[in-house]
Amino acid sequence: MSEELIPKVKQMIIESLRIEGMSPDEIETDAPLFGEGLGLDSIDALQLVVAMEKDFGVVVPDAATGTKVFASVRSMADYIAEHKK
Amino acid sequence: MNCFMFPGQPLIHDATLPGDADFDEIVALTRTHTGMDLSAFTWAGEAHSEQVALQVYGVAVSLYRHRCLRAEGMKPAVAAEHSMGVYAALAACGSINEAEALEIAFRVGVSMERRFHGRDYALGCVVGLTAEKLAVLAAEGMVFLANHNTSHHFLLAGGRHEMEATIGQALASGAFSAKIFPCDAPLHTPLLAEAEGELAAIFRDYRYHEPAIPLMNHIDQEFLTAAEIPAFLMRELTETVHWERTYRALQRFGATRFVEVGAGDSLKKYNRWIESRP
Repeated sequence: MSEELIPKVKQMIIESLRIEGMSPDEIETDAPLFGEGLGLDSIDALQLVVAMEKDFGVVVPDAATGTKVFASVRSMADYIAEHKK
Repeated sequence: MNCFMFPGQPLIHDATLPGDADFDEIVALTRTHTGMDLSAFTWAGEAHSEQVALQVYGVAVSLYRHRCLRAEGMKPAVAAEHSMGVYAALAACGSINEAEALEIAFRVGVSMERRFHGRDYALGCVVGLTAEKLAVLAAEGMVFLANHNTSHHFLLAGGRHEMEATIGQALASGAFSAKIFPCDAPLHTPLLAEAEGELAAIFRDYRYHEPAIPLMNHIDQEFLTAAEIPAFLMRELTETVHWERTYRALQRFGATRFVEVGAGDSLKKYNRWIESRP
């Protein structure tokens, strides 16, 4: 289930963060999203929280949860698969 | 219509620096006018705080990026500034020169470092609460709103003890994240008024030309005139930075393309958030 979500999560990241010049395939599934990797920050995190709720109906309640959820594309897909209504 | 946006002080510095002739010139200017070695992030003479170094670094990076953009042929029709990004913005608009921008940032930073030495202040970055909710927490916690960046991104300033309590309350009230950062002085709060004498004297030391490019201020979204600049530079240190309403005003003015001229891309991300909200 979560494996099927991976392309959708990558597309959501690109659209919600308006990343220009990057295709979903260029985002590594297991690479860290914050710090290294895509270099996201807390401004991006809140944008992703809103996008996840809008696109998948899944809520990330706080930064502590967000730290785990936004560790990588795979962890985001796993969280969505687990919490999707 | 292009808008050049000049961000305020970064919270960290990038260890990887450019290695071209323009950056070498900025490094030399910075060393001559502030005593700071940008390459090593150290001071040649008397040492100053990390915050002063970051303030000078922020201006230097903005000046360098501005040189690069102009070399690429990009010209702004309008400019905007956020917090201490105003010094580089003034240089980009031709109101002062690059050396003066670096020198003012340095002198202001050192003045605040000395004036507030021994007192424990902190900044609090709060993400995810509404302005109304945050205003209540700030009032109860006796801290101040330093930056109103978007509907859900704010910076508080005040005493460290009060800030720690307020940040705890923010998290308990549903903030997505809330973090404390060190500072020398409570920037963009009325607490800075006690340093008005020495800070205003610094701003009076320079001659300001009329901005060649319209420069919108972040307090009331008016375009600065040369005569207003010294008073604005003092006022902006004691009042909240309003980025969201500045961005909206720039759009109403006709700006369609926003280019961040400095370290990081926070302003671009704030704009993205503002655009994504109804």
